[in-house]
Amino acid sequence: MAVSLTVNGVERKLDVEGDTPLLWVIRDELGLKGTKFGCGAGLCGACTVHLNGQPVRSCSTPVELAAGAQVTTIEGLGDQDRLHALQAAWIEQGVPQCGYCQSGQIMSAAHLLASNPSPSRNDIVNAMTGNICRCGTYSRIIAAVESVAAGSRPDQQEGA
Amino acid sequence: MTMNRRAFLKAGAGASGGLMLSLSLPGCAGIQTGYEPETGEWKPDAWLELTQDDEIYFTLARVEMGQGTYTGLTTLIAEELEVAPAAITPRFAPAAPEYRNPLYKLQLTGGSTSIATSWEPLRTAGASAREMLKLAAARIWKVEAEACTVRDGHVLHPNGIDSLRYGQLVELASKEVIRGEVALKPRSEWKLIGKQGNRLDARAKSTGTAEYGIDVELPGQVYAVVTRSPRYGGRVRSFNGDEVRAMPGVVDVVEIERGVAVVADKYWRARKAQTALSVSWDFSDALSLSTSDVFEGYRKAADEDPGESERSEGDFDDASKAASTVFSAEYAQPYLAHATLEPMNATAWYQGDRAEVWAPTQAPDLGQIAVARVTDLSPGDVTIHTTFLGGGFGRRLTQDFIEEAAAVSFKIGKPVKVIWSREEDTRHDLFRPAMLHRMKASLADGKLTGWHHQIVGPQILDWYVRNAAPAQYPWAPKFLYNSLGSAGLMFEGIATPRDMSAIEGAIEYPYGVGNIDIRHTHTDPGVPVTWWRSVGFSHNGFAVETFMDELAHEAGEDPYQFRRKLLADEPRHREVLDRAARLAGWGEPLAEGRARGIALFRSFGTHVAQVVEAGIEHGEIRVYRVACAVDCGQVVNPRIVEDQIEGGILFGLTAALYGEITLEQGEVQQSNFHDYRLMRQYERPEVTVDIVDSEAAPTGVGEPGVPPVIPALGNALFALTGQRQRSLPLTADV
Repeated sequence: MAVSLTVNGVERKLDVEGDTPLLWVIRDELGLKGTKFGCGAGLCGACTVHLNGQPVRSCSTPVELAAGAQVTTIEGLGDQDRLHALQAAWIEQGVPQCGYCQSGQIMSAAHLLASNPSPSRNDIVNAMTGNICRCGTYSRIIAAVESVAAGSRPDQQEGA
Repeated sequence: MTMNRRAFLKAGAGASGGLMLSLSLPGCAGIQTGYEPETGEWKPDAWLELTQDDEIYFTLARVEMGQGTYTGLTTLIAEELEVAPAAITPRFAPAAPEYRNPLYKLQLTGGSTSIATSWEPLRTAGASAREMLKLAAARIWKVEAEACTVRDGHVLHPNGIDSLRYGQLVELASKEVIRGEVALKPRSEWKLIGKQGNRLDARAKSTGTAEYGIDVELPGQVYAVVTRSPRYGGRVRSFNGDEVRAMPGVVDVVEIERGVAVVADKYWRARKAQTALSVSWDFSDALSLSTSDVFEGYRKAADEDPGESERSEGDFDDASKAASTVFSAEYAQPYLAHATLEPMNATAWYQGDRAEVWAPTQAPDLGQIAVARVTDLSPGDVTIHTTFLGGGFGRRLTQDFIEEAAAVSFKIGKPVKVIWSREEDTRHDLFRPAMLHRMKASLADGKLTGWHHQIVGPQILDWYVRNAAPAQYPWAPKFLYNSLGSAGLMFEGIATPRDMSAIEGAIEYPYGVGNIDIRHTHTDPGVPVTWWRSVGFSHNGFAVETFMDELAHEAGEDPYQFRRKLLADEPRHREVLDRAARLAGWGEPLAEGRARGIALFRSFGTHVAQVVEAGIEHGEIRVYRVACAVDCGQVVNPRIVEDQIEGGILFGLTAALYGEITLEQGEVQQSNFHDYRLMRQYERPEVTVDIVDSEAAPTGVGEPGVPPVIPALGNALFALTGQRQRSLPLTADV
């Protein structure tokens, strides 16, 4: 079927089967490889992109549901000359290890800060819990998000 | 059979060691070095390339899978070459003899060996290039080279005014010869080693531009998905190829050794067509056992065969007879999957007289063997391009994913990318072996007098040698591959590295006990196994450190002090134990419903002690804090050391809390992250890492964080509940 969607500000017209997951359209039809395949079941968050500003698991979103929508991927979050503040923080804090999950982590964090510029520690933990990192970079992720969040205050974490 | 092999090994090592060693030396020329006038590039050695335009390339022979070689090894070069690490562009190494890991004589990244084995050679490479550049500048200026200095990519004239860029010197430098040994910078002059340093790959990995295996795209590439036998060892009998070939986008459906591949123009079309594929399997040689059979088999083997002695001191039997108490316990540990977040994948292109492969692999030379096996090519005809790895943890030491892509490309003559689904990645993994441990200890008046440890389970080399032995002799004809595999086992320790996978960590039992008897009962139920982050240390750590905790309780002593008293001759063990206890506030009161557990384990040369603070909330185990002390010798990059140790702790906790692969009549029961659970952000404990400042030779950090945290958590739960858990994963239902 013919599908039209706007990806990182550019309108794209495609001829793909409607049940193709948005992930494979982004990666293989549009050649944007920053969005990753991890589980194919919406369990790990490696494929997270923004669909009309909302974070979705692109591995479990048929492209027909994205028809006419605005899609933002890691490549559209900032550009190489002007990184998104979170990307700069990720580099400064040295978050990535293997790095495979980090596009998804950053997309989840970007949505959090767009909707809640001053999240508490618990807000951040809750927002980031859907994104698995097998290398265990979780504490650096928190540090990176907190370094960007406006007036961020590490509140009393459960157990701390 | 094992005993014979080992006995032979010990008898034969002295006599034939020299001969075997000479056979394993590379026989073919690898990387061209020297100056290339046309391009203005100078390669002083297999690692470095400097250009007239001041570009510096470093061939990284230890793959980057998160552990930090991209940054750490580049730092070693940069330190001696006197340039900023960011001025160096790392490139992933092709398969070549120069890039073999000296410990394994194979081009492996594993065993937490990258810094330890690169520490001297890479600093020497950097220093040699630096000295040659100085000699070239000195010749131009007609001054003594020793009077020249280097800084930030320049050689400086003794007059303090003139300088030359490295790029201006590369052609002349290539003609210089260093006499004698090149001097490495003394510790006092280090600018980079031991200092905090940003990761060189952080930018690419934060902007989505780092290329992993799954991101490789070739012109004319097609996608393949493989349906494999649901039970290991099953063979294809027949399949409905014609029906599937008629599906949209399907290019072909081909049988390969490992199953049936559906090839399509797009990945999703291959997946959809795969659902219509129906394969009839011949299960006559297939695995049919269940997990309960595995452990039953282990117990039977343990009863019948006391195992080969791996360490024996004093007389355990005498100690038991004289003891007031002989205490025993049995520990069982499950199969574990690797669950790298990037699923297995590879892209292969068979081109008649050669093949190219792009893959996230931990062992490119074994990848060459895998391709040669399933095509009409020799290993030397195969080029392996290594990418960033989305996690490794030992999984990508086995080359089945490359083998599949090559087999399909060989059949259809097109570049092929094979991607495994998460379900396939879980079910067709090669696992951390399930293991059984039987422990006995003698206590006399509360004092530990004897230690007996019987380890029951397989050895990993038995599964790995198939491609590892031929990779050491890449000129050997292919019909010899299988016999090379057998010879590899026969000459284990000479032709192939000694397999320590069952016993490592157990035989280095550090506590001062007079009578020690450590044995391995070798038994292999036929379930495929491989290296898994921290390997044998992962299961021996749990057995040894849980049993030590049980003995402390039995002796009525504090588990920290009980260990400490037995470490009089092990200052590095004792130091990290003290530090971890101090960091955790050992002995200080805790909130209601919480308890602490302690454990200490040395692995890959690195000493690690941990104290876990845990509780049970709403029917789930909660880990609140982990205090950790590490002695890994000289630190190159403290931030990466911290990250690796913390990552190892979370990896170990994931295994302790959730990790379990089970088999029912030969079929793996887990498939994705809902039933093979990984630790998430909300479960993360607060981890504090204290690194011992040391000038000792550097040792590994990628794996040593894993082993102690598993028993430390179990010990904390015992302190909390009074119930001892002797099998993993741990449960809150006690």
